[in-house]
Amino acid sequence: MKITVKQFAWSLYEAVDGKSPSQVKSVIKKFIELLVDKNMLIKADKIAAEFLKIWNEKNGIVEALATSANGLDKANIKLLKNYIAELSGAKTVLLNEKIDKNILGGVVISYGDKILDASLKTSLNNLKEKLIK
Amino acid sequence: MSATKDFIVEQLKEQIAGFKTEVKRETVGRVIEIGDGIAMVEGLAEVMMSEMLEFKTAKGLVFGLALNLEEDRVGAIILGDYFGIKQGDEVRCLNKILEVPIGDAIIGRVVNPLGVPLDGQGEIKADKFYPVEKIAPGVITRESVKEPVQTGIKAIDAIIPIGRGQRELIIGDRQIGKSAIAIDAIINQKGQNMKCIYVAIGQKESKVASLVARLEQTGALAYTTVVLAGASDPAALLYIAPYAGCAMAEYFLDKGQDVLIVYDDLSKHAVAYREISLLLRRPPGREAYPGDVFYLHSRLLERACKLSQEYGGGSITALPIIETQAGDMSAYIPTNVISITDGQIYLMPELFYQGSRPAVDAGLSVSRVGSSAQIKAMKKVAGKMKLEAAQFRELAAFAQFGSELDKDTKDKLERGKRLQEIFKQGQYSPVSVANQILIFYALVNGLADDVPVDKISEFERGLYKYAATSGAKILKEIEEKKDLSDKLEVEMKSLIMDYKNNLDYLIK
Repeated sequence: MKITVKQFAWSLYEAVDGKSPSQVKSVIKKFIELLVDKNMLIKADKIAAEFLKIWNEKNGIVEALATSANGLDKANIKLLKNYIAELSGAKTVLLNEKIDKNILGGVVISYGDKILDASLKTSLNNLKEKLIK
Repeated sequence: MSATKDFIVEQLKEQIAGFKTEVKRETVGRVIEIGDGIAMVEGLAEVMMSEMLEFKTAKGLVFGLALNLEEDRVGAIILGDYFGIKQGDEVRCLNKILEVPIGDAIIGRVVNPLGVPLDGQGEIKADKFYPVEKIAPGVITRESVKEPVQTGIKAIDAIIPIGRGQRELIIGDRQIGKSAIAIDAIINQKGQNMKCIYVAIGQKESKVASLVARLEQTGALAYTTVVLAGASDPAALLYIAPYAGCAMAEYFLDKGQDVLIVYDDLSKHAVAYREISLLLRRPPGREAYPGDVFYLHSRLLERACKLSQEYGGGSITALPIIETQAGDMSAYIPTNVISITDGQIYLMPELFYQGSRPAVDAGLSVSRVGSSAQIKAMKKVAGKMKLEAAQFRELAAFAQFGSELDKDTKDKLERGKRLQEIFKQGQYSPVSVANQILIFYALVNGLADDVPVDKISEFERGLYKYAATSGAKILKEIEEKKDLSDKLEVEMKSLIMDYKNNLDYLIK
């Protein structure tokens, strides 16, 4: 039976979990050999991405993206991090930033498959809809 | 002028002041695969079964419905134009399961299964929504069927009576008058305190257009809603159409009213569901239908019911239609639906081509609710008629062999011929229940035995006309009392005898 990308990622996670850095090195070497053996090296980047997902989930890490119009200052970033941690129940939040003038103001936060849209643009759109009614 | 201007500005200011920005946590996913009206979406971890989805496309928003919830992807059907959707498009959960607008505003309208008007008569103002899929009423809330639905078709009202809350299947080949029966039944509901819903599933839009025109002409559109999922609509819309129609019916049911709902037809519905299922990679079974095709129809038809008085006393009567291929009643879908419903009206091609229309086969058609769905007067006159009608066809076949027949058989044959003649009825010409009782009374009491067989329809028409003028009191009494007293029977008899005195074509 064909081994899926997900299965590879899982087995890699199980192999490296709780090992010391030197052990991890040898595990990864063995894993690459396995990939070569199974002709799956071409899928290595997909396996890595899947592995990252599993790793983040197991260690309570959430990657989030905050889109703002003019960039965020340090205090706000801290507030946002705490807020996301509270919402998602994660231990650590890795916050990436993106600047998009189109949203006019406010911030759009996204993590996993969730989106919190607190942008000025959406608010104005909602107001427009309400006034039309 | 400026005062009104100020007023408007003031109002706007007020509205803007009252506007609260709220931030909602939304679940989004992305389209990973799209084709044939089916989208595979990744993400959407918290999506519910049959939840509405919103696809953000370049051409605007399109609705979808989550049907397959898999480990890392969601299979969704698209309710609308799926050509605008591209891979990578954003999909949002709407946090509500599929629902349709309901209310009195939908009466007299032609809508699609999502409640969007198709008749160009403006927006439907409905503030309430009902879920499309709903669990049928339970045992406690129900009551046995006891009131009749008068279809106005003599053959049906007499031998296969339909009650309010019953599910009666109309089955037969193509082009044999299945829809005609359903439409006649709708037309005859005028003044019978009944709301009607006609669900067209995969029908030609030209056919539906002429049907709507006919309903309008006869005044039946005043209490009828047409739910249209045409032949050119995607399978997803065909699939939800009967459930949407039923949700609309449930609004009236909850108000304690009676509803007649026609599903025309469920074989096309099953085909649409098969298409969706195969595209969603569900394993095919017999005739390539998925394993849950029985549940597909049973959960729909189970929603037809008669509620007890404590629960409002409303009812939903369902008339599903099934099209057979070359009279094959034992195919998968026909047998399924026959076993779900409380009886079937079988239309026979031979009868149809012989000219006895509606081509109802008395032998194969049954109503499991039976005579409890007839008024007492009808029970009295039509009691043995089903047996007689069924026997007649056998006898007629048998009598072809020999000329020597005893008197009893001859009488039965003569009676049967006249009965068959009476059962013939044109389209769009429903007969009131009082008139039906009158003509059946004449037949079973031998008052029509001296009318030549080819003159029966003339005799019948004349009798209705005569009764409308000279026997109006009798007809009214039948309709009000719903029973035949001895006195009334005598009056009926003398009415018919009086009428016959004016005829010149009787056999002496």
